[in-house]
Amino acid sequence: MISLILPDPHLPYRREFLKKRDFVYLGVLVLLPVIWPGSLFLMGLAGIYAIVALGLSLFLGYAGQISLGHAAFFGIGAYTSAILTTRYGIPTVGAFFASAATAAACAYLIGKPILKLKGYFLALATLGFGEIFLVIVREARDLTGGVSGIFGVPWFSVAGFAFDTSLKQYCLIWGVLIGLVLFAKNLVRSKMGRALLAVAASEDAAASVGIDVARIKLGVFVISAAFAGLAGSLFAGVISTASPDAFGLGLSVLMVMMVIMGGMGTLYGPISAAIFLTWLTDSLGAYQEYSLPIFGVIFILLLIFFPDGIATRLNTRLIYLISYWGRKRRRERINQ
Amino acid sequence: MTQLLTIDRISKSYDGVLALNRVSLAVCSGIIKGLIGPNGAGKTTLFHLISGLESPTAGQISFGGVDITGKAPHEIAALGVGRTFQTIQTLGTMTVVENILAGMHTRVPGNFLSSGLWLPWIHTGERAALEEAKQILEFLGLLGRWKWSAMQLSFGQQKMLELGRAIAMRPRLLLLDEPAAGLTPVEVNKLSERVCQLRGQGTTIMVVEHHQGMVMEIADEVAVLHNGELIADDTPAAVKKDPRVLEAYLGRAGG
Amino acid sequence: MTPWIHIPPLLVTGITMGAIYALVALGFVTIVRASQIINFAQGEFVMLGGVLTFFFISGAGFPYPIAVLLAVILVTIIGLLLHLLVIYPLRKASALILIMATLGASICISNTSALFFGTLPKALPPFSGNLAFQLSGVAIASQGLWVLGATFSLLLALHLLSHRTLVGKAMEASSTDPLGADLAGISRNFMVFFAFGVSAAMGSIAGVLVTPLFYTSYNSGTLLGLKGFIAAVLGGWGKNNGAILGGFALGIVESLSVAFIPAGYKDGVAFVVLLLILYFRPKGILGSPFIDSRRW
Repeated sequence: MISLILPDPHLPYRREFLKKRDFVYLGVLVLLPVIWPGSLFLMGLAGIYAIVALGLSLFLGYAGQISLGHAAFFGIGAYTSAILTTRYGIPTVGAFFASAATAAACAYLIGKPILKLKGYFLALATLGFGEIFLVIVREARDLTGGVSGIFGVPWFSVAGFAFDTSLKQYCLIWGVLIGLVLFAKNLVRSKMGRALLAVAASEDAAASVGIDVARIKLGVFVISAAFAGLAGSLFAGVISTASPDAFGLGLSVLMVMMVIMGGMGTLYGPISAAIFLTWLTDSLGAYQEYSLPIFGVIFILLLIFFPDGIATRLNTRLIYLISYWGRKRRRERINQ
Repeated sequence: MTQLLTIDRISKSYDGVLALNRVSLAVCSGIIKGLIGPNGAGKTTLFHLISGLESPTAGQISFGGVDITGKAPHEIAALGVGRTFQTIQTLGTMTVVENILAGMHTRVPGNFLSSGLWLPWIHTGERAALEEAKQILEFLGLLGRWKWSAMQLSFGQQKMLELGRAIAMRPRLLLLDEPAAGLTPVEVNKLSERVCQLRGQGTTIMVVEHHQGMVMEIADEVAVLHNGELIADDTPAAVKKDPRVLEAYLGRAGG
Repeated sequence: MTPWIHIPPLLVTGITMGAIYALVALGFVTIVRASQIINFAQGEFVMLGGVLTFFFISGAGFPYPIAVLLAVILVTIIGLLLHLLVIYPLRKASALILIMATLGASICISNTSALFFGTLPKALPPFSGNLAFQLSGVAIASQGLWVLGATFSLLLALHLLSHRTLVGKAMEASSTDPLGADLAGISRNFMVFFAFGVSAAMGSIAGVLVTPLFYTSYNSGTLLGLKGFIAAVLGGWGKNNGAILGGFALGIVESLSVAFIPAGYKDGVAFVVLLLILYFRPKGILGSPFIDSRRW
């Protein structure tokens, strides 16, 4: 894994591994709460959502498949952890990995039939799955605590060391996130990453070069579900509860917005968007009843004006401004 | 001369419309086989059947001794059949070099887990793949633009790129569906050159084309389809004079 | 103890709800036929129909029929605005963006309704009071008959619209052959605009019909919209007949399921039906002009 640390200049252009800007970007994000201590909890929460967004970006942003049900995998992870730790006394680390496994298994079972569908129908099927999850959670009261949910989920702890403060939880969450970012970065610059993009660009062309489209779609669906499951486990460990309201269609829609606004086909974009949207949801929350309608309006405006993601639009504007400035200077020099 | 591809009484009908009617033909290895015929004759359909995008209603196809009738497209590709498309399907969201690398999918090691962990053999595999991809780009004259987004290439260059993606598979059989369509005469010549070079390297090639000049010049054998039936299968010179072929293209003539 | 004796009343409920689902499904299909867009905010039109009628009666003091009329007109305007402000600006966007935009609109509308009218469920008096009929031992509320009657009248009206009026025929043309219709001078955008208006009107009428039977609150629109969509897919995606058949089929299946499984799971039944249909026969019961089995 030495190549994890040393940048390799010989690899395909867009997908080089760790460069200076990676360290800068991640560094700023990680150290932000140091400058601004009040943001610690929020950044922790943002980190959790960023993990889901990261997974979803592989499925949606790279492979081009729509899922409106990822909140269900997040919820499956949270409930698995909550149930295992409160009912069966399983240590949180074990529950952590079990959450990922459960979410992955559900994705595997549901994915096999569903992923044959495309476009609107895949979106609807995943939405349906999300709703079924909620119905089951609300009804199976003995297992899940019904509408009220499960309380008293213990803090995440490893070998006696408990992550009980916001700072410790923040480090845990961002540690996991960075680990998963490295995994995703590797994936994306390997042949599997190319396979994902190929499936999104043209399934016929992908099949013609030997890519098993169905397997790739299922694989990335399972991976994205596993990411969501891990995030769910961390969520339960940080908020200490698991209840159905947190895992509905609204959250699935929010996640998809994170990927779209962050920029399809990028990894950092959805992470940034996750932070932005978490912060936005929080600040709008202060306005209580007005928050959701305003949110809906903001959604729509974002989609109309930034369909390729906020960063792309800002990037092109920035590049245009810089090049304009450069041309202006050249013109002045010529005129002198 | 070994038979690489054998098509045995293949028929394909779509909701009652018979696109191909008991077509049988064989392609020996190491040759360039042209496939011509008026529009709607069933040429692209035949390619779809060979490459697996469609299944035949009746008949059998075997490749290198293996029965590939009804197999999935990626399985057939893995056996060594590469193809280009009539409406080009370049992977526009990817860079030029990534398009070529995508073609090497079956030859580069890795699965989801090993790639994510970037295990040592993934690293060496990727480096080797990049080297080879660059060589292929050089062969096609696209090396200078290897970092470009595929969308930014001109139409002719995109066709070359799609050819490159198919070549990257190192296929035993290459199916080219109207590779010359929309190319300038200069580009067509370069294309012919490269296809002949590929034959020289041992690849068997089937070409669907309307560009008569190109087909007659580079093909060793030419098969002619008309209304879903095979009406001729011979050397270019013989086909040019075949009365049924002339009638299909030009209508009833004096003789 | 068999659950069979529960069947007849459940059947009645099922048929009644089925009519509502059919109306919602028709709303989806109308828009899809004009534009290939799936309007996830469709259910909100239904919700608004009920909520606004309630508001006009209790808040503004209008008599029942006037309140209904005002509500339907207002919701139709909202539907047209939805097109102008959200759909039209995004007319060239990808399917994903459109899905997200209509979902965003749905969130916006339902929560604005909560803002203005509160979150308590609203009820309306049945049209002809608490009259009920007895049919072989089963009570049928008169409201149920109103629902069926209104549904069939709307279907007739829609049929006449499509086949007898110029605008209706233009819509049919636009959905069958967009390019040809365009070349013939039929503005695609206007057709979609019109479709949104018609859908909103139908949805709001469905809302007025259903609120006397079941409560309507700010968030009932989402689920109703989803079930209407499922009904449209079930019956045969893109066909008016399919929407109607699917609506009744879904309503009956969902209602009867309560006899066999715990009542809390009832809402999940529709989604299980959806998954089954998408897996086994995506074209739907009557088949679909839009879905090519091979490519799916």
